[in-house]
Amino acid sequence: MESSDPDPTDDSSMDAFLDKFQSQPYRGGFREDQWEEEFDKIPLFMKKAPSEIDPKEFPDLACLQSIIFDDERSPEEQAKTYKDEGNDYFKEKDYKKAVVSYSEGLKKKCADPDLNAILYTNRAAAQYYLGNFRSALNDVLAAKKLKPDHLKAIIRGALCHLELKHFAEAVNWCDEGLQIDAKEKKLLEMRAKADKLKRMEERDLRKAKLKEKKEQNQNEALLQAIKARNIRLVSESVGEDEDSASNGLAEMLLHGLSSENPCGARLSIDGQGRLSWPVLFLYPEYAQSDFISAFHEDTRFIDHLMAMFSEAPSWDSEHKYHPDDLEAGWLLASTSRMRTGQNYTRCPLRAPCCRCCSTPGAP
Amino acid sequence: MRGPGVGSGLSGERGLSGKEAGADTEVAELLPFLVPGARADLQAAAAQHVLALTGVGSGRTLLAGQTALLRALIDLAVAPIPAPSRDASRALVNLAADPDLHWQMLAADPELPVRLLRCVLDPQWPWAEELAAVLANLSREPAPCAVLTEKLVAAEPERLGLERLVSALCMPSYNASAPLHYLGPLLSNLSQQAEVRAFLLDPDRCVVQRLLPLTQYTDSSVRRGGVVGTLRNCCFEHRHHKWLLGPQVDILPFLLLPLAGPEEFSEEEMEELPVDLQYLSPDKQREPDADIRKMLIEAIMLLTATAPGRKQVRDQGAYLILRELYAWESEPDVRMACEKLIQVLIGDEPEVGMENLLEVQVPEDVERQLQELDQQEQQELAQERRDKGAPRT
Repeated sequence: MESSDPDPTDDSSMDAFLDKFQSQPYRGGFREDQWEEEFDKIPLFMKKAPSEIDPKEFPDLACLQSIIFDDERSPEEQAKTYKDEGNDYFKEKDYKKAVVSYSEGLKKKCADPDLNAILYTNRAAAQYYLGNFRSALNDVLAAKKLKPDHLKAIIRGALCHLELKHFAEAVNWCDEGLQIDAKEKKLLEMRAKADKLKRMEERDLRKAKLKEKKEQNQNEALLQAIKARNIRLVSESVGEDEDSASNGLAEMLLHGLSSENPCGARLSIDGQGRLSWPVLFLYPEYAQSDFISAFHEDTRFIDHLMAMFSEAPSWDSEHKYHPDDLEAGWLLASTSRMRTGQNYTRCPLRAPCCRCCSTPGAP
Repeated sequence: MRGPGVGSGLSGERGLSGKEAGADTEVAELLPFLVPGARADLQAAAAQHVLALTGVGSGRTLLAGQTALLRALIDLAVAPIPAPSRDASRALVNLAADPDLHWQMLAADPELPVRLLRCVLDPQWPWAEELAAVLANLSREPAPCAVLTEKLVAAEPERLGLERLVSALCMPSYNASAPLHYLGPLLSNLSQQAEVRAFLLDPDRCVVQRLLPLTQYTDSSVRRGGVVGTLRNCCFEHRHHKWLLGPQVDILPFLLLPLAGPEEFSEEEMEELPVDLQYLSPDKQREPDADIRKMLIEAIMLLTATAPGRKQVRDQGAYLILRELYAWESEPDVRMACEKLIQVLIGDEPEVGMENLLEVQVPEDVERQLQELDQQEQQELAQERRDKGAPRT
């Protein structure tokens, strides 16, 4: 060359540079048939990062990542990088990846308790938005252990308890947070909400307890009424035909009334202290039955039969079931299961039901 | 209005009343044994003597005249273990029970309220309950109460302020060895000050809300009564009634619940009541202390001072609870307060311009008539008490 400092206006140097390509081939360029795929693998231009980075497939990205997560950097620096990565995922609402990043940051076990508290709190937030409230709560507890006055952790913890319907705990956490910042609006609103829900829950518990107590008293009254009428209850247990103990009676009554009666009808007592029974009419000749859900003890069999057989049932092929011709066998404790060899006793159709039940010495 | 105080029940042995002549000298001779640096066993013996003296009025008057001795006693009361602080603290409770001695105590040590407060709010202080009782007694009178309020407000940077006091009151486990029940009457007395009420009723904070569950605190009528007294004083602020009765605070159920008994209501009536009063257990007990029941009624009465307040109280089924209370109540003055409140709820609305009963300008002659009527009522009450043969102290 004529001079060491090339003159920009000198066209000859440019010509010389371009002449090189006439003789030397260009190397490292995109292949014409796959240039789009190759373009996508360059970190600068790729549209989305791969879920796994294969160094052979993505050498450039792998290099960048190893720079970022160089093990020669301190655990604090690495943890902070993971925290920032997690925060980026969080902003994109990719909470699962955020959890992974925060977890990697925690694995570094760096010596900075504040940073670890933030990692736990942020992971708790990600878990919360994934609906994993218990995992979120565990993270919050870990964060609080590291930094007791970390307000964000306490707010998150209160939110978790609220979602888990631990309303009393939610109120307590709000109070704890308000010790740190007495005017934190989120805590004030959340506390009012949790307190209201807590009181409603307490009301519901009281209501259920009262209802249970009322039913218990009702059953007790039923048992007393049955005993007062000298009615014998046949036990379900084989060989136990005598009166059971009071507790046994209550238990058997409850069991019998609730389980053997698919219609849901049950023994009841009216305002004057009179009983109505669920009663089964069996027609062994045709293996048929009728169920009366509320047979008042003062009513007569004949009145029920006249209503039941005012029209001939379909199974009465010989049309011989008329109220006047019927004979009723009475089985004590109609809710008990049928057993072979059970004795029947004749019952007058035109007498009130209660007189049959209380006949002394009836088998 | 004078707040609840602590009596002289903490006194030691009686009977050490010396003759008037030479009594001053004898008391003064205790001073060297009380001062910091004296031998611990001598301090303890001297403190016991002082405690015994505070059991009688003349002894208290005698001690209050000895400024240096008062100072030494105060120093001993706030001294850390192993100083015999307990007897000194108890002596202070007895001295503070006498309003006439407050100015002498404050003259002996102007920093007395702050020093006591620092100990009371120390979660490890073993005699915090006694010192809380001293503060409760001191704050019964307006002047010491104002001084204490000023100190509390000024002490906020040290976190010795009202926020800390309310927190300790709301957390019975704040001090493992002292339940601090007397913080209740202390706060009640303090809430006679406008600044304290402003703090309690700050909508940007959560203060009065945290006090509400304590109306049902079963372990101590002292704490319970103090909180109810505080709430009643807050209800004088009619400008805050809308907030107090609204969903952010929801004060009414907490005032009605202690007045509710085991009576059953129909389903329609039940729906009218707040959730806290629905489906109460058949063994529900009413507030056993008649004075607290009366304060609860007075608080509700204050909430009915404005037309919107009356509507809200009425709409939340207060009448149902008060109707049953009236049938059950046997204390004449509580019964009368209940009757008045029922009349307000079921009576006609006042004339236009007189809706806020706390702001109505009463003509002088009407006021005189009302005072005469009040006196007549008081006489009738006194007569009724005499007829029952159960005079109240």
